[in-house]
Amino acid sequence: MTGNHTATSRDWTRDLRDALGYPLTSDARLLSAAVVTLATYVVLVLSSFPQFSVQVLTTDPTDVGYAVTALTREVYLTTGYLGLALVATYAVLTGVAVTNALALVQRARRRSASTIVGVLPGLLAAGCASCGAGVLGALGFVGAMAVLPFDGNLLRLGGIALLLFFLGRAGDPRTCSLDGGGRA
Amino acid sequence: MDEEGNITRRRALIAGGAVLTFGGVVAYTGSQSGATAQHYVPDNTHAGTGTTGFDVDLDGRPIAGERDAPIDIYYWTDYLCPFCKQFETETLPELGREHLDTGDARLAVLPYPNIGEYSTPAAVWGRCVWSQVADSDPDAFWNWHAAAFAEQPESGTDWADDETFAAVTEQTAGVDLSAVETCREERGASIRERIEPNVAVARESRIQGTPGFVLYNRDSGAAGKLVGAHPYENFAEAIEKVMEA
Repeated sequence: MTGNHTATSRDWTRDLRDALGYPLTSDARLLSAAVVTLATYVVLVLSSFPQFSVQVLTTDPTDVGYAVTALTREVYLTTGYLGLALVATYAVLTGVAVTNALALVQRARRRSASTIVGVLPGLLAAGCASCGAGVLGALGFVGAMAVLPFDGNLLRLGGIALLLFFLGRAGDPRTCSLDGGGRA
Repeated sequence: MDEEGNITRRRALIAGGAVLTFGGVVAYTGSQSGATAQHYVPDNTHAGTGTTGFDVDLDGRPIAGERDAPIDIYYWTDYLCPFCKQFETETLPELGREHLDTGDARLAVLPYPNIGEYSTPAAVWGRCVWSQVADSDPDAFWNWHAAAFAEQPESGTDWADDETFAAVTEQTAGVDLSAVETCREERGASIRERIEPNVAVARESRIQGTPGFVLYNRDSGAAGKLVGAHPYENFAEAIEKVMEA
C-alpha cells in the first residue's frame, strides 16, 4: 500500500518535471510560455482592482504600465512578498500549462480519438490555470482580501497546488499516460 | 541530433534567466516605494455645510479648497488603504496645487472604512482630530492626516490600533490628544452613524473600493467617477470634462 503510494508520487514528481521541462524543448514553445506568463501576470494584477484597471486603460491604453506597476505595489503592500511570489509563480505555471495544453490539442488532432484520457489532465491544468486566474483576481479585490485567511494567500497557494497536481498528472504532453504513469 | 525537441543548455539558461528576471522585476516593482516625503497642506481649508446636489452630507466635514469652487471632489478614503496612501503622496500634492489652491475645485475627505477592523476607529480618530482643529488650526488636520497614512508599514493592517493613532495625534503639533480622546468617547457612536449615509452614496455610484472619487459640477449637476490611485493627468482630464459638462 505504502509502496504503491510512494511509487505513484515518484511517478507524479517525474511527470511534473517532464511537464515543466516541456516548454524548454523548442524556441517557439519557450516563447509561447513566456508570452502566456506575462499575459497572465498582467491579467492577475489588473484584476486585483478591476474598476481602477478598466478606468485607466479606457482613459489611455498606454497607461497599462502605470496600472500594472501601481497594482503590483498594491499586491505587495496588501499581501507581502509571499503574495507577490504566489502571483508570479501562478503566472509561470499558467505559461507552462497553456503551452503544454496547446501541444496536447495539436497531438489529439493528429491522432484519432482514444487520446482523450491522456489529454484530459493537461486540459484541466490549462483550464484550472485560466479559471483560477479569474477567481484569484476576483478574490484579490482590494479590501475583500483582508477577510480571507492570510489575506488571500492561502487561496493562491491552493490554486498553485491544483495547477501542479494537474501538470504532474498530464506529464510531458508528447507522451501518453496509461495506468498511472506508464509510457505509450 | 537536432536541437528541436530536446532540452538544450541554451534554452534552459534562457528560461532560467527569464524566470529570475521576471521574479526580480516583480519583486523590485512591488517593493519600490513611490511615496515621497512631501505631503499636501491646502492653502484654504473649510468645514462643509449642508447636503450637496449629489446627496453627500458635507456638514462639518474637512474640505480643501475654496468654499465657492465650481467642482466638488468627494474623496472616499480609509487610513488603512495602501492605494489611498499612494494617492495622497503621489497625486494629491499636484492635484492640490493645480486645482484646489487655484479655486477650480474643492476636495471633501469622506471616510469609507473597508480594509480592516480598525478602519472605522481610524475614521473616528480623523473626524475627532478635525473637530478639534477646524476653527483654530485647520492645517494641523492635514498634518495629522498625512502622518496617519505615513504610519502604514510595508504590509498588512496589524499596525493600526489605539496606541498608534494616539501616538500620531500626540506628535502632531496643534492637536490636543486628550480633547480628541474625549471626542472619541462622547461622540464616537454618532460619528460612526454619520459615516454610513455618505458611504451609501459611494456605493450607489458603484464605487467598490478606496480611494474612490466623484467629481461633481455644482452648477450643472454633471458628475464623473474615478476609482483607484489614478495618475494626476487622469484627474486633470476628468475635472476638465466635468467642468465643461
